[in-house]
Amino acid sequence: MLQTLPVLWHLARLKARTNLEYRSGLVIAWVAQAFGYAGVYAAIWIITSRFERLGGWVWPEIALMLGFHVFAYALGACFTLVQLRGMDELVRRGGFDALLVRPIHPWLYLVFSGFNIEYGGHFALGLLLMFWAMPLLDVTWSLPLVLQFVGSIISAALLTGALLTMLGASAMVLGRSRYLFGIYFDFWEIARYPLTIFAPALQLVLLTVVPLAFMAYVPVAVILDKPVPLLGGWAWLATLLAGPVVALLAAFYWRACEGRYQSGGG
Amino acid sequence: MFSALARITFRTQLAYRSQLWALLFSGFIGVVARVSIWSAVYGGPGEVAGVTLTEMITYAIIGGTVLSSWDATQVVREVGTLIRSGDIAAHLLRPFHYPIALLAEQVGIRLFNLLLVALPVTLVSMLVYGIVPPASPAHALIFLGLVAISVLIIFATGIIFALLSFWVLDVLTLEWFMRGMLAVFSGGLVPLWFFPPVLAQFVGALPFAYITYYPMAAYLGVESVGDTALMLLGGVAWVVALSAFIAWLWSRLTHRLVVQGG
Repeated sequence: MLQTLPVLWHLARLKARTNLEYRSGLVIAWVAQAFGYAGVYAAIWIITSRFERLGGWVWPEIALMLGFHVFAYALGACFTLVQLRGMDELVRRGGFDALLVRPIHPWLYLVFSGFNIEYGGHFALGLLLMFWAMPLLDVTWSLPLVLQFVGSIISAALLTGALLTMLGASAMVLGRSRYLFGIYFDFWEIARYPLTIFAPALQLVLLTVVPLAFMAYVPVAVILDKPVPLLGGWAWLATLLAGPVVALLAAFYWRACEGRYQSGGG
Repeated sequence: MFSALARITFRTQLAYRSQLWALLFSGFIGVVARVSIWSAVYGGPGEVAGVTLTEMITYAIIGGTVLSSWDATQVVREVGTLIRSGDIAAHLLRPFHYPIALLAEQVGIRLFNLLLVALPVTLVSMLVYGIVPPASPAHALIFLGLVAISVLIIFATGIIFALLSFWVLDVLTLEWFMRGMLAVFSGGLVPLWFFPPVLAQFVGALPFAYITYYPMAAYLGVESVGDTALMLLGGVAWVVALSAFIAWLWSRLTHRLVVQGG
């Protein structure tokens, strides 16, 4: 493993340098992506400015949640989204077979050789929203709370990476997996709203089977000391554990899919 | 030629069954999210800006399915890829006007979505949540006209952004700009009557409000029949203006196009 680390670092650097060849294009892409998100956030702002609250949350609280959501997502997705969304194409064209015979784990190769620095707009927008919202909220920051906040961002990023890994791995068994990403993003979009606005059955789904409530709602509710349905006083622990637990599941799932993989082309 | 192209794309879409199920699921999740938002903010019966919760649920269901703008990004991505790879040159050799062929293909995709995704999702959502009928038969007729305008304006917007990629080259950048713009300006998520007045006036004067807001305002009878008919006329004028702009862009593009190799 120790021998692999410099290789992974080198792969990620190579990809980053490729992206940096077109600097102005990269910056415009960052601005465009941030603009794309800002459009949806503006629509949510219009709702809260008219109705004051959405699911009991005021605009600065929702802004913190949106900032957390986009930041944690970008942290996980820069290692996984583009790479694993292309898995079905790799499987179909036989490119995955070539990865299997390399002296490095195929997932590690995919993730680091495709390390994507195009999420600058996501990070900037996320930080901007969080830094704008925090002073407006009645949060008394202490060391444990700061650690909880940082830990839950890392957990949410792990959750993103783990879920996208599972979707990508499905291509080894199903052949096609791209449409599963569409379904993931449907749930990902509704995870931008306070969980309390949804019916109890959907709340349960978002806390268990598709645990995207841990992407933003649960961690931010913990920081704001708001009650979390079903989890109650355990929400702080659940939000820290969600990412690592799903990452472990994703590792098992990847291995199981690899075990059942039969070459699709070549 | 137009109907043949539309038919082919319709049948191509039919070939991907798993994608159809995913689209149906997506459509329903989208409706659930929108209805949940409005139910949460209304908190019960009553009117806000003269609109009841049931009317907002109707707006959310029809606006999020029949009048959604998601597929406009598809055309931007496809044409952008053709321009970047140079394959657009092959389309110039064909015996039809490329923007019209694009429209025909998009009509095929739209029909597929309308018949096999939007209508089933709308029907199931109607049974689950209930909707109000159109305000009057006249409003219903104008609504149908505005649905056609909505489709034309979505694709005109998509095609304009797609052709702009000839100059900008990075199609994803254009797609994200369009997505952000349509999220607010189409009225897809939030109708203009909830906008701050100045913003509502500005957005109402743009063509994008014809994608979701104006058709739904006609359906719900927000304005009198006369004023709603004027909305329809305004939509027709925008379609003509945008078509002229596309024709101009296309002629500029073909003059600039240089094909190397072969």
